[in-house]
Amino acid sequence: MSARLPYAYRYLRAKKKFPHVWCPGCGIGIVMGSIIRAIDSLGWELDDILMVSGIGCTSRMPVYVDFNTLHTTHGRALAFGTGAKMANPNLKVLAVMGDGDSMAIGGNHIIHASRRNMDITAIIVNNNNYGMTGGQFSPTTPRGAKTSTTPYGMIEPDFDICKLTEAAGANFVARGDVYHVVELDGIIKKAMSGSGFRVVEALAPCPTNFGRANRQGDAVNMMELLRDNTINIAQADKLPREKTEGKIVRGIFADKNETGYIEIYRKLCDRVSSGVKK
Amino acid sequence: MSEKPIKGQTKEEHCETEVKKRPAVHIFPEWCKGCGICVAFCPKQVLEMGKDQKAHVVHPEKCIECALCARRCPEFAVFVSGDSIKESKKKNGGEK
Repeated sequence: MSARLPYAYRYLRAKKKFPHVWCPGCGIGIVMGSIIRAIDSLGWELDDILMVSGIGCTSRMPVYVDFNTLHTTHGRALAFGTGAKMANPNLKVLAVMGDGDSMAIGGNHIIHASRRNMDITAIIVNNNNYGMTGGQFSPTTPRGAKTSTTPYGMIEPDFDICKLTEAAGANFVARGDVYHVVELDGIIKKAMSGSGFRVVEALAPCPTNFGRANRQGDAVNMMELLRDNTINIAQADKLPREKTEGKIVRGIFADKNETGYIEIYRKLCDRVSSGVKK
Repeated sequence: MSEKPIKGQTKEEHCETEVKKRPAVHIFPEWCKGCGICVAFCPKQVLEMGKDQKAHVVHPEKCIECALCARRCPEFAVFVSGDSIKESKKKNGGEK
């Protein structure tokens, strides 16, 4: 068979940038595949999409995709994305962030982007630590987990990204993981096709840092942990509480139809420019 | 197409069987980093880790083209020439 390239490769900077820098078994590549499949199934033009990111492992993602891309300062993906969306409302803005990038350094930005209901899809890859700098603890490291800066176990409680953004007013909030990749594909597609601020938290393994520090084995073992320790929201509602205790619930938590910021702003512009006084 | 069609088989049917014989899973060895995810989660054990620490297609005839290996590959090194690709080609061809 001749070297016919699969559909995903049309969206990649395959000749220049591959193989990518992520470690063997890192889940970020799987999330990137999900994003590409979602865009493929929605049939979007590559020039209409802006992928914006900050700093970190996940934020290397715009390097590998062939959309309009913007690689910005640490934690400020949403701030730059907001500016780009305001300047050109026709862009479909995707902000890809890691857990540290979005929750610690860019924590304020995500709260206010949720409050404004800014028309951006935020995809947050949660691997429970700062992978790029050597596995330090992040705001989403679970209590008791070991990292290079918490060798005796994390003593702080962790952030629940979904609860935080839902409370702050995001239109769409969902959690998926890279083992249940078909479900993740559907969640990301649904998030991208909506309006307002949409958040998808994707749980991903970090075998090099988090997995090694917590003796969770290699990439395959960490994928099995994701399989065993997560539960779908529909199943979790049916099962008694003892069986769901300690498991991470995945699924869609909020799917509202509130008007996005861009729509409200456009209406304001129309009202003011038509000569109506205050 | 070297083989002649079997008696009672139309040309189209013959072509279809030829297509099915081809291996559906392909691996780019240059991109594979040997994490083993595709091998571990293949429902039909089509893939195996080789001595070079890269995944290899050892039982292509067992493949059911579920494409779970391609979806779960973090390195974009596995692809399946199954329905998903045909569908996507057809769809995009129609739009353009």
